[in-house]
Amino acid sequence: MTQAEIKLCSLMLQEHFGEIVEKIGVHLIRTGSQPLRVIVHDTGTSLDQVKKALCVLIQHNLVIYQVHKRGVVEYEAHCSRVLRMLRYPRYIYTTKALYGDTGELIVEELLLNGKMTMSAVVKKVADRLTETVEDGKTMDYAEVSNTFMQLADTRFVQRCPMVHAPENSDTQPPPPAPNLVINEKDMYLVPKLSLIGKGKRRRSSDEDAAGEPAAKRPKHPTDNKEPIPDDGIYWQANLDRFHQHFRDQTIVSAVANRMDQTSSEIVRAMLRMSEVTTSSDAPFTQPLSSNEIFRSLPVGYNISKQVLDQYLTLLADDPLEFVGKSGDSGGGMYVINFCKALASLATATLESVIQERFGSRCARIFRLVLQKKHLEQKQVEDFAMIPAKEAKDMLYKMLSENFISLQEIPKTPDHAPSRTFYLYTVNVLSAARMLLHRCYKSVTNLIERRQFETKENKRLLEKSQRVEAIIASVQATGAEEAQLQEIEEMITAPERQQLETLKRNVNKLDASEIQVDETIFLLESYIESTMKRQ
Amino acid sequence: MAGGDGGRGRGRGQLAFNMEAVSIGKGHALPPPTLQPSPLFPPLEFRPGPLPSGEEGEYVLALKQELRGAMRQHPYFIRPAIPKKDVEHYSDKYHTCGPIDSAIAWNPDWRRLPRELKIPVRKLQKEQTTILLPKRPPKTTEDKEETIRKLETLKKEEEVTSEEDEEKEEEKEEEEEEEYDEEEHEEETDYIMSYFDNGEDFGGDSDDNMDEAIY
Repeated sequence: MTQAEIKLCSLMLQEHFGEIVEKIGVHLIRTGSQPLRVIVHDTGTSLDQVKKALCVLIQHNLVIYQVHKRGVVEYEAHCSRVLRMLRYPRYIYTTKALYGDTGELIVEELLLNGKMTMSAVVKKVADRLTETVEDGKTMDYAEVSNTFMQLADTRFVQRCPMVHAPENSDTQPPPPAPNLVINEKDMYLVPKLSLIGKGKRRRSSDEDAAGEPAAKRPKHPTDNKEPIPDDGIYWQANLDRFHQHFRDQTIVSAVANRMDQTSSEIVRAMLRMSEVTTSSDAPFTQPLSSNEIFRSLPVGYNISKQVLDQYLTLLADDPLEFVGKSGDSGGGMYVINFCKALASLATATLESVIQERFGSRCARIFRLVLQKKHLEQKQVEDFAMIPAKEAKDMLYKMLSENFISLQEIPKTPDHAPSRTFYLYTVNVLSAARMLLHRCYKSVTNLIERRQFETKENKRLLEKSQRVEAIIASVQATGAEEAQLQEIEEMITAPERQQLETLKRNVNKLDASEIQVDETIFLLESYIESTMKRQ
Repeated sequence: MAGGDGGRGRGRGQLAFNMEAVSIGKGHALPPPTLQPSPLFPPLEFRPGPLPSGEEGEYVLALKQELRGAMRQHPYFIRPAIPKKDVEHYSDKYHTCGPIDSAIAWNPDWRRLPRELKIPVRKLQKEQTTILLPKRPPKTTEDKEETIRKLETLKKEEEVTSEEDEEKEEEKEEEEEEEYDEEEHEEETDYIMSYFDNGEDFGGDSDDNMDEAIY
């Protein structure tokens, strides 16, 4: 793990779980697999705090444990899983777009709590939805259950590994840690529950209390004693499936940008057909015949078979190679090439970074070297049609930032510099890794700056929160306009200005984090798919 | 070794590479030598592009900020306990620190965790789960109507009881009028009336001790 990644993990853990969990988590990421006593000794925190922190980390799937010989349990942290916490808002928003508010709340609860049973999720989500709905209406459990089952069918949520009880548990003492296994087939199997009920509104004001009969309220604490039907079956969000969805979305929008809406719809139909047949890390989809694609196009699209064939041919001939032709049966067999698509997207990201950072002439040189693979200094100047001095300057700038690298080809065995060819080349994989590292550093800087800004204005923020609380309580008991005005004037105009500036800055920093995370996703997917092929 | 020393001594004036190959010919101006570390914030040559705005961007932004706030409220957020000081401070009761005991506030499934991690679970007195609203419907207009309704009911109640309290109200009004008179007087002059001493109290102080002469 690089230092930048570790720093980013530390900031994420600190923001979400506090300093104690951050200390333990970062220690585990740095040093790898460790038993409990060694963690206590090395970090210098008390045993109870370490236990608390480990419980939280295991609950959120950030740390796993393994039983080694002599009964020692070792704990290991997953740095990449911690970095996913940056992407939580994107997951939740995607579910909202696909499954509405209900789906959004289900995934939000699962992400915030790590893992939960289905009945607990359904109950909590129904309660939350009932809060937002008008007075008198409540959210039925059945509706939430249906959305949950839809999410499980499309694999956006999956079952956690279950406790595997060994058969001869009577003769041997119980193991120090349970053995967790999961069967591939059971991963998306929803247990048959009959969840009957409606969401309960939290009694926040006296007006709502009159609606509910008094007999229902004392039943709340006794609910916990009833046996939960799906006890032990925990669910978690399936982040790989979300990543697959993001990747598909990016490919479709790339095709739409490069060609037109119709071709993007065709690609979308192809991706939808191969969602269940292709695994998430396959280099390309199963071959799809042109007839199948024609049948599965959305109903509103009235394009004839010939037009579809023309579009498919165009897509297959495109130099970006998103779609490839793999045969001629069934009117032409086409595949979507994920490897090449991700490589093109990563290259496009690199090009755009160079363009925004160094200017369009630099970008021209970069694209030239990318296309011709290896070029000498003189050739670069000639092909790019840029004067020698500027071309040299730009090349060295890009070389110093490691976007371009130098390849030496000696003419003589003694590698004398005057008798060696120096060729400029772009190694996309290493440039992508370098850019990814830079992205991690940028997000770290953004988070630190945001924390700094908030800390600077902490006094002002607390004051404004107190004033808001006072206003809310005064309004609830009935107040006149003059009183409210007086309370609002407790915050002076320059202070209000300061608050506005702070809010604007924090929003900008947050939005930047979200945007950098999109680039991180793209580069990580590209690097992962290329490493798998090698 | 002798060969190495000789090479270092003899070929000192020659460069290892061919100048023209790197296209620094004679007469080309090289950039000036750098005498200090590069600046902390180098000047931006090109301004960055705009951030994603629009409905999706703003929704995801609001979601991110709400999630951050929500995580702090969850029992998974463990605040470090403030160490005990010798002197009790007034601000101690306002500190938002975690409890010093070894219990956790949420109930994990102990069957799934290693046995060595078991800690007592603290039972909450009240359910303090804050339920967040995904959308915050504007409630200000409803609140205003409620306050107006409440004020109207209060007014009606006043009118009903006003007939009984008419005498008291008249007295209050007279007092208010007197106060107004004083204020009007005060407004005519720039001097504050209460500072004016018209000598009534002078001489009223009876001194028990008559030894000293009064001048």
